[in-house]
Amino acid sequence: MSGASWLSYSLQDFVMFGPEVLLRLFIRINEAVWPWQSLWLVAGLLLPWLGCKVAEWPRRLAMALAGLAWIGCGYLFMVRYYGPVNTPATWFGWAFVIEGLLLLMLRGRALPIPLGLPLAVAGWLVILVLPWLAVLQSGDVRALALFGMAPGVTVAATVLLFARQPLLLRWFLLLVPLAWSLFSALTYWSLGTYWLLGFPLATLFLLVVALRVSPSPVQSRGLQSVRPDPERRLP
Amino acid sequence: MAGVSRRRFLIGAGLGSLALASSPLLAGKMATPGDAPQLRPIPSTGEPLPAIGMGTWITFNVGSDQRLIEQRTRVLETFLELGGAVIDCSPMYGSSADVVGAALETLDAHDRVFAASKIWTGDGSKTREQAASSAGRWGIPRFDLLQVHNLLSWQDHLATLKDMKARGEVRYLGITTSHGRRHDELARVIETEDLDFVQLTYNVLDREADKRLLPLAQERGVAVIVNRPFQGGSLFRRFQTEPLPGWAAEAGIGTWAAFFLKFIISHPAVTCAIPATTRIEHMRENMGAMYGPLPDAGQRRRMAEYVRQL
Repeated sequence: MSGASWLSYSLQDFVMFGPEVLLRLFIRINEAVWPWQSLWLVAGLLLPWLGCKVAEWPRRLAMALAGLAWIGCGYLFMVRYYGPVNTPATWFGWAFVIEGLLLLMLRGRALPIPLGLPLAVAGWLVILVLPWLAVLQSGDVRALALFGMAPGVTVAATVLLFARQPLLLRWFLLLVPLAWSLFSALTYWSLGTYWLLGFPLATLFLLVVALRVSPSPVQSRGLQSVRPDPERRLP
Repeated sequence: MAGVSRRRFLIGAGLGSLALASSPLLAGKMATPGDAPQLRPIPSTGEPLPAIGMGTWITFNVGSDQRLIEQRTRVLETFLELGGAVIDCSPMYGSSADVVGAALETLDAHDRVFAASKIWTGDGSKTREQAASSAGRWGIPRFDLLQVHNLLSWQDHLATLKDMKARGEVRYLGITTSHGRRHDELARVIETEDLDFVQLTYNVLDREADKRLLPLAQERGVAVIVNRPFQGGSLFRRFQTEPLPGWAAEAGIGTWAAFFLKFIISHPAVTCAIPATTRIEHMRENMGAMYGPLPDAGQRRRMAEYVRQL
């Protein structure tokens, strides 16, 4: 196909489903797992608290919870429900599963620096406030987009942990979240579901904030670091 | 071909009975009691087809959502009740083929439709494989019409489709484009190949096909299916707050849907338009355009001029 022909396509030409189908995904996932989503809500609220702890085991648990959330959201929401109407969602779903497995494998090796209270509060806001974006968009309270099930909230909540990782690992872990944020933003934009743009925008905002306030590993005394940064070593 | 004969009988019988029964179904439209549906012959065989069909792009891609599958089944049921037969789909449209298949199964309507799908793969050796896969998703033994989607690897696919037609594995073959793309190449295919159908974009605003493709199809005896009759819904967003012209009633037009669709199916080269919808009331409006008088050439010019001025 010629370059000129490709230019004749618009973003809408690549979205093969309507907003009704997308918004129904949130409702259907909630109906499918009822009443177990309450466990994910508790896990989501625990995540920032565990991530704040200086002791190692709570932060290991935070990484494990994040990993399980990515696996659950990737397989159930993305592969099982979203994939049949949007093929790239299947690919992203498996990427989410791999990301989750990676987090589970890493939980004992690369512990994030503690979040600190401001980031923990941001995390709680993500878990409690962001789910309502899907409700605002659909006008149906059953569409609550909960942590561990809906990708937007899951990604936004866990990038806080990723941003506290050592440099290389951090950006490796952020590949899928950033790619998903871009993809989902384009999808929501083309469907006209503008409230849902809050998911990728919140993800990017939290990532920038978390990176800005991230201390160097040696500033977190007594904490394990995979590879201390020699350029930031104190004299 | 027993199944095919039965299908043609059922479609014909359904259309005949509609001439008597359509007026209550089309309440509020411009049709009058006794109006017969607009039929168009397929040039290569003379087989009549209802002039309004149904597209499935976006609208039937609802995945495994049982509530939406049930709702789309009711849309399809309305389409058939009002005399529709041509359903067009593609492997490109996600789960649409599965949803069409589920709806046909629920309605036990496999024999009441003119099943049209597409071949959409860059691998020219996969024509039969994809046709069989699509037929399985629809729950039918074979398609009435298979079209090469967007001219993708059309030389290889068309050669296989010709062989399939000769063997009775498909009744008609064709080729498609949309959004006004690659019209020059499409014209060359119409000129050089033996096609039963061509599918292209044509509506009251996108009228490039008027210049060459529609006259060429008419000259070559190729049936024309028109996609994007509402320009993907943008015609409604743009015009539905505007009044219909005062003279619209003379052309049997009572809604904007009828305005857009009657403009298309009144073109002498057009066989069928395939609007898509998710709503029963919109399906009723669309099918209403298949009844009552059609605009003549002079009225069609006024229609195009009217929307141009808005």
